[in-house]
Amino acid sequence: MLTSFLPSFGNQGGWNQMANMSMKKGDILAALVIIFISIFVFYESGRWPIPALLGNPLLIPRGVAVCLLFAAGILLFRALMGKSLMLESRLEGATLRRVLAVAILTGGYVLVLERVGFISTTFLYLLLFGLVLGVRRWFLLIPFAIVVPVIVYLIFDTTLNVPLPPGWFR
Amino acid sequence: MVSLDLLLRGFGTVLSGYNIVALVLGSFMGIIIGAIPGLTATMGIALLVPFTFGMTPITGIVMLLGIYTGAIYGGGIASILIKTPGTPAAAATVFDGYPMAQKGLAGKAIGIATVSSGIGGTFTAICLTFFAPILAKFALRFSAPEYFALAVFGLSVTVTLTGRSPLKGFISGAFGLLIAMVGLDPMGGFPRFTFGRVELTGGFSFVPMLIGLFALSEAFRQVEIILTAPKVKAVIKDILPKLRELKQCSAIFIRSCIIGLIVGITPAIGAETSCFISYSEAKRTSKHPERYGTGIIEGVAAPQCAENASTGGDLLPMLTLGLPGDAATAVLMGAFTIHNLQPGPILFRDHADLVHQVFAGMIVANSVFVILGLAFARFFARVISINRRYLVPMIFICCMVGSYAINNALYDLATCVFFGFIGYMMMRYSYPVSPMVLAQILGAMMESNFRRSLAMSRGDPTIFFTRPIALIILILAVFATITAIRRQRKMLRMQVAMATEGPDEKK
Repeated sequence: MLTSFLPSFGNQGGWNQMANMSMKKGDILAALVIIFISIFVFYESGRWPIPALLGNPLLIPRGVAVCLLFAAGILLFRALMGKSLMLESRLEGATLRRVLAVAILTGGYVLVLERVGFISTTFLYLLLFGLVLGVRRWFLLIPFAIVVPVIVYLIFDTTLNVPLPPGWFR
Repeated sequence: MVSLDLLLRGFGTVLSGYNIVALVLGSFMGIIIGAIPGLTATMGIALLVPFTFGMTPITGIVMLLGIYTGAIYGGGIASILIKTPGTPAAAATVFDGYPMAQKGLAGKAIGIATVSSGIGGTFTAICLTFFAPILAKFALRFSAPEYFALAVFGLSVTVTLTGRSPLKGFISGAFGLLIAMVGLDPMGGFPRFTFGRVELTGGFSFVPMLIGLFALSEAFRQVEIILTAPKVKAVIKDILPKLRELKQCSAIFIRSCIIGLIVGITPAIGAETSCFISYSEAKRTSKHPERYGTGIIEGVAAPQCAENASTGGDLLPMLTLGLPGDAATAVLMGAFTIHNLQPGPILFRDHADLVHQVFAGMIVANSVFVILGLAFARFFARVISINRRYLVPMIFICCMVGSYAINNALYDLATCVFFGFIGYMMMRYSYPVSPMVLAQILGAMMESNFRRSLAMSRGDPTIFFTRPIALIILILAVFATITAIRRQRKMLRMQVAMATEGPDEKK
């Protein structure tokens, strides 16, 4: 099954570490990202033209960036002082593998949707998604993976006149 | 003032053809979404916005109103039957609803909850109908400085949406402001933070972002916590409440309607707050407060009535000023814009007929969910036990297809998935999502009006303090922030006390 392949890459990758970070590490990382973004806002806004009589476009972005820098400083300080909040739950073991598998499946869905088409991609997606979530009743899962994309396709394409990628069924 | 002629014609439109079908369908879907723990009204609206694309604006909007009111009510069903609120707004219904179910009175509890929600919702919809045109007419006097002040007011009260950490709420809001700046400069027309991508010149696609932040992120969380669906053991009978029971709750209805309306109008708080205030007020003013928490109908009627009574209040600032009061109305506002309708006083001036149809739709929606709730109570109870292993993948598909369908663009789908993951990580690390979305809407309004004001005054910032309405709104913003922080702390304490000790905590 799909989930059984996951441990081989699930325990060391960056994804794993990101999803399983403690709140303290998460706060430190978030503070660093915020500082980087704030500096970027200052740098980027410095390249903007300042039109006459149309209000200074730098005021609000730079004001927000200063506020964010200040907030990042507090977040970093609190994290380093050990005053971060508690994580509501840790992602571990099977739960972590499940979330990672769904994230990968969803990313893959985005990449192949237009090439392969809605019905085929969604059939495969639902089938694998069901397996990841532990559905083992094939006699239910296969009809489910067939019926849902067909109904959604008919609703959007036929009833709402919103075309979906036909792919191989073009 | 409200035009009775337009309102009557509005009822005619709403009750005719596809509109009533869409409303009933929306209400039905809304109750189902509300009844399933983990799915919220905001998520429901975000998820089903794409289904309104092919509809006329009024058909789409009444369908979403049906989802909104139905989901707020539907949360109470799960509270009563499985002791888990279907939506955050139904948290206080647990206190007496579940004990009633344990006594074999689940049907009666659902019946009282349904009628109470209907009374609260109808009252607030009528108030919306009569107050909104007055407020909109007044708002027509507003110019750029007043709109800037209004945006500051809206932003200042988003601090109440901060969840566990005010600092993280502030960061979330500030990021919302930065996201609002992506795209072309509103005055100069030059690109900002677009990284040379043509797709970003109009900013991030708003609806895919909303679907990602509110629906896909929650679906990711459901993957994390996926459990065997709870089994409903209660027997549901005697659903229709007796007249005597309704008379017994009449004082509670009046009080809860007023509480719900006031809480709803107050920006940044909504049904999830009004239900607790109403419950504690009902208990405080009762001759037998010790009976609360043991399974009495008053304990179900108070929160249910107040939570639906806040819906019209929530819609009031959104419709009249373009100022969404909470996450659900922010998503509704997104739905309006998809149909090329910009909420605000101009909408009342240019589309008075449509506005009155919305009022009529809101009133009818509150009757529709009562009828559906009483008629299909046993079905909705069964929905709670739906297998999440099939439901969650369907939510993922609806999110992604909905996002893609807006412009038939892979970019929109990628935006939805990107913000879905961001929203999920934000939830995991206690960053509330709502301030980010509200700040994004208000940020665009704030920035453009700030710069327009400065252009009007040739760069003189005193324009914000020399115009009386703008000054009053700015002063109100300061007071609202202070009051909101204090009230938020009080509410958090009350919710924690009720959650840990039950409704019998010391007053």
